[in-house]
Amino acid sequence: MFSWFRLLASLKLTLVGMVLLGGGAALSYNNPVDVSVWVLVLPLSLLAVNLTAAIITNPRINRQIGLLVFHVCLLATVLLAGVGRMTHLDAHLEITNGQGFTPDLLLDVRKGPWHTGSLKKVAFVQGDFTVDYSAGLKRNLTHSMVYLPENGRMREQDVGDDRPLVLERYRFYTTHNKGFSPVLTWVPDQGATVTGRINMPSYPLFDYKQSNQWTPPGSRQEIKFWLQLNTGLSVGDAWVLDARNSSGVLVVTIDGLRVELEKGESVRLPDGQLRYDDLTSWMGYRVFYDPTLQWLFWVTIAGVLGLMHFFWKKLNLVPWMDEATSASVLPAEKLAGAPEKQGSKGQAV
Amino acid sequence: MNDMVAEQPWLWAGLGAYFVATLLAMWGVSPRHSGDDAETSHRHQRWVLAFIVLGVLLLTVAIGARWVRIGHGPWINLFELLMSQMWSLGLVFAALYWRLPGLRPSAVVVLPVMWVLGSWVLTLEPAVSHFPATYYNVWKWSHVGLGKIFLALLLTGVGLAGVLILRRTQRGQVWFRAMPSDAVIDKLAWRLMMLALVFDSFMLIAGAVWAQDAWGRYWAWDSLETSAFLTWLFLAIGLHVRLSYKVPPWVSGTIIIGIFAMAFSTYFGTPYLSPSAHKGVV
Repeated sequence: MFSWFRLLASLKLTLVGMVLLGGGAALSYNNPVDVSVWVLVLPLSLLAVNLTAAIITNPRINRQIGLLVFHVCLLATVLLAGVGRMTHLDAHLEITNGQGFTPDLLLDVRKGPWHTGSLKKVAFVQGDFTVDYSAGLKRNLTHSMVYLPENGRMREQDVGDDRPLVLERYRFYTTHNKGFSPVLTWVPDQGATVTGRINMPSYPLFDYKQSNQWTPPGSRQEIKFWLQLNTGLSVGDAWVLDARNSSGVLVVTIDGLRVELEKGESVRLPDGQLRYDDLTSWMGYRVFYDPTLQWLFWVTIAGVLGLMHFFWKKLNLVPWMDEATSASVLPAEKLAGAPEKQGSKGQAV
Repeated sequence: MNDMVAEQPWLWAGLGAYFVATLLAMWGVSPRHSGDDAETSHRHQRWVLAFIVLGVLLLTVAIGARWVRIGHGPWINLFELLMSQMWSLGLVFAALYWRLPGLRPSAVVVLPVMWVLGSWVLTLEPAVSHFPATYYNVWKWSHVGLGKIFLALLLTGVGLAGVLILRRTQRGQVWFRAMPSDAVIDKLAWRLMMLALVFDSFMLIAGAVWAQDAWGRYWAWDSLETSAFLTWLFLAIGLHVRLSYKVPPWVSGTIIIGIFAMAFSTYFGTPYLSPSAHKGVV
């Protein structure tokens, strides 16, 4: 049994695993869709087995506290990263000003099979946002206001860029994806009145095609919308994107009919009446959940501290340049100390 | 070439100081002085150190002048990255040159490598760079700072690796006659590699925290992350190869140079060649 462990703990097997991992990492460059995650999982599994065996059997590791901590933490990092992938959630969210978050708003949801987060407990309401741009339309700071229920009141929080909103371990990051939403009311000839928003494409990225379409309930005809915006955008100057300082004319096209609507205006369409109530904004968030994040941080820090401890101890035991093997030209005071014993095969560091 | 900007005279002066240090280091190992008093007194080494320190000080002013001119530190484009690397490589190498007298002749390998960067920066326009919103994050400082120490330790290791390889020639043996045996140099070089592994690991952790804050993921195998991971892995492989086999000094030196080449491409190639998004600018 123990001889099997020794075989599995071989340094040569470590090298094979590392070379395979290097190959897997190179293949994973930029996450190509046609490369399986197994190119990383297999070498990592091999290295995990090899490392476990080495920790148990190799006295160079298990009798030196620093190296032991480093290697145990390395193993724990791989395991935590694995658990993280099994429990993670990645998604996108488009939420309009004044809208409350609900889990069904999430788009492109990718999650691990063990994901059991408390997404239903996440509650916030999206507020206004501003995005600063330098001349040349270079994006600077984003300030997105969100409102969180707290003791029966709503607390305001400013999130944006590297300041995510963190609720129930779900992290909401603002993205470059944001834009305008005309608020519309549809009064059908038959049926209930409906009020809602249509999110136009990301602005200013798609400044030139602020269009979308919608088929109202109870109607079979699709309405095409085009939003003519006035946001004060000037590519040559610094500018702040702020829906509160923006206005837009909504061009409605249906079945050969073309009407321009100002805010508050209505148009009679074949199956009902459409009113352009307001112009508001939507913000795109990236949603990320991984319960292992903090553990990963502390385990990796502990591991490198272990390596430092090992290295520091070695520094104190053996001088950097020992005279026993020196060419003897260096001043004697710089060369004091005993030579370090080397292994029969490999060399000590 | 555009009109001269504030940092350029200081940059040129700093590179000039490094150039003088290079010439002095070469003069110091010159065979003309074999058997001469000058060789064993190592008096030229003080001047080498003085000119490296002078270069660092002048580059400090250059970086400061640019910071004032464009409103942010040297984080973004290749011109400012090279300038700040010249500064940090000089600073760390000067400290090691001062504290470890045995490695001093290896300056004739280290300083010309720095001159590759120096020549490169002279070919670039000192264009103003855009400071992305994600660069306000405080983790940037530790990520970049740790990375600078890591690269400087690797470069110092390359100096020793160069000695191990050049000593295979007759001329190399003459140049580096004042250095310890290959075994001692090899051991010192790998200690620097191990120290580099510590700083590289810390750099990756700090970078992952920054990436989590800035882009909502701590690791995504983008071009720079893949390249940085491969550099870390090469370093770990190098250390394990040395533990597993009796490696001749010149092979040991070649491995160290290979690791440095990977790190060099990570720092100065990948972020500027790849179209993918790990520059914080998107």
